[in-house]
Amino acid sequence: MSKETQMRAAVNQKLVEMGERERLKELLRAKLAECGWRDELKAHCKDVIKEKGLEHVTVEDLVTEVTPKGRALVPDSVKKELLQRICAFLAQQSTL
Amino acid sequence: MKMEDMSLSGLDNTKLEALAQDIYSDLVEDACLGLCFDVHRSVKQGYFFLDDTDQESMKEFEIVDQPGVDIFGQVFNQWKNKECVCPNCNRSIAASRFAPHLEKCMGMGRNSSRIANRRIASSNNLNKSESDQEDNDDINDNDWSYGSEKKAKKRRSEKNPNSPRRSKSLKHKNGEFNSSVSTDIYKYNYNTGISYETLGPEELRSLLTTQCGVVSEHTKKMCTRSTLPEPELVMESDGYDVSDGQVLMGRLHWDGSSDISPSDSASSKASTTNSDPKRTKKKKKPSSLSLTAVGVDRGEREDRGGSGSGGLGGSSSSQSALGLPGRKKKPKLPAPLGPSIYDDLN
Repeated sequence: MSKETQMRAAVNQKLVEMGERERLKELLRAKLAECGWRDELKAHCKDVIKEKGLEHVTVEDLVTEVTPKGRALVPDSVKKELLQRICAFLAQQSTL
Repeated sequence: MKMEDMSLSGLDNTKLEALAQDIYSDLVEDACLGLCFDVHRSVKQGYFFLDDTDQESMKEFEIVDQPGVDIFGQVFNQWKNKECVCPNCNRSIAASRFAPHLEKCMGMGRNSSRIANRRIASSNNLNKSESDQEDNDDINDNDWSYGSEKKAKKRRSEKNPNSPRRSKSLKHKNGEFNSSVSTDIYKYNYNTGISYETLGPEELRSLLTTQCGVVSEHTKKMCTRSTLPEPELVMESDGYDVSDGQVLMGRLHWDGSSDISPSDSASSKASTTNSDPKRTKKKKKPSSLSLTAVGVDRGEREDRGGSGSGGLGGSSSSQSALGLPGRKKKPKLPAPLGPSIYDDLN
C-alpha cells in the first residue's frame, strides 16, 4: 500500500471518527433537497422506470442510470461549499 | 495519529484538493444511492406513482391564467349583486348586505341585542320614577370601577327591572321623601310617582314654598328647583367633609335647575336638566367618595384653585383620571352646566 493510499485511509478514518463525515453528509442532503435536485432526479427515475417497466426494475438499473446524472445535476454553489468544508477539515487536521 | 499529520503537511495543495474532491464525490454518490434505494423501495411497495393524478384530472384542475379570473377559473365578484330572500322577513336583500341584515332580523348578533336593550331601557326610563337616580348614586359609590363612569349613560339603560337594589331603593326613597319634605333644598329630583292628590295640604305647602313643583308632562317629573335664596350653597366649597352627598346634591341641584326657566315647559329641557344632576353627580361622586381619606386633599385642591392634579400625589392624579372619562361626556350636556362645576374644582 502506497503512502498516499495509507494517508487517505487515515484521513477517511479520522473523518468518520470525528463525526465530520456524518455532518457533511447531512449538510449535502439538506442542500440538495432544498435546491430541487432530489425532485429532478426523481422525475428522471420515473422515466427510467416507465422505460424499463414497473415490475422489472432493479436497484442496479436505477443506480447505473441515475448516478451519473445526479453527479452532473449538483449545483455549483453546493459543490463549492462542500469542498470548502472538506478543505477546512483537512487543514485543521494538518495543524493538529 | 502523527503519521498523517506529517504526510498531510508534506502534501502540496493540488494533492490536497484532489483529496478533497475524492471525499466530495464519495459523499455525492452516497446521496444518489440513498435516493435510488428510496425510489426502488417505493416502486416495489407500489406507492411510487401514487402522487400522480391521471391525465384527465390534470387537465381539469390545471392552473388558469386568464385576466379577470382567479387560478381556479372562478370570477371574483360574481355573486355580489345577486339578491337573496331572507327566510325571516321574506324580503329580498343584496348578497353583500345579507349577513348583517340577518343578524338584525333574527336578533342574534352582538349589536342587535345592544340596540334592543337600549330601546327597552329608554322606554323604561320614560315610564319609570327617579329611583334611577338613587340607583346611579349607589353604583357610583363603587370606587373600584372608574369604568362605571364611562358607562354611566348605558348603565341606567341596562338595569335589571327585577334587581333587588331597585326595590330597595324604592322603599328607601319613599321613606326619605316623607322625611325630607322639611329638608327641602338638598333633595333629589326623583318623585315622578307622586301626584299632588296624595300629599296633604301641609306637606304641599311646605313642598311648594321651597320648590318649584311643576310636573313635566313628558317625563312626569316634578321640578325641584329651589325657591329659597342661594347663600347656603357658597359654604360648600370648603366643606367636603360635611355630608358630601347632600352638599353635592344641593349644589348640583342649583346648577341643574338654573337651566329651567319657569315658563319653559318643554320636556326635553326638563329631562336633560333632570339628567344633568345625575350625570354630574356621577362624575363628582367617585372622586369625592372614593378616597374619603383624601377629602382633605380635595379641599386643599379647591382652595388652591387651578392646580389641577398638581403635586398632590398619585391619589389626586388618579382622581383627575377618574374625572376625565366623565369629562368626555361633557359635550352632550348643556354648556352652562359643565364649566360651572369644573370651574369650582379647578
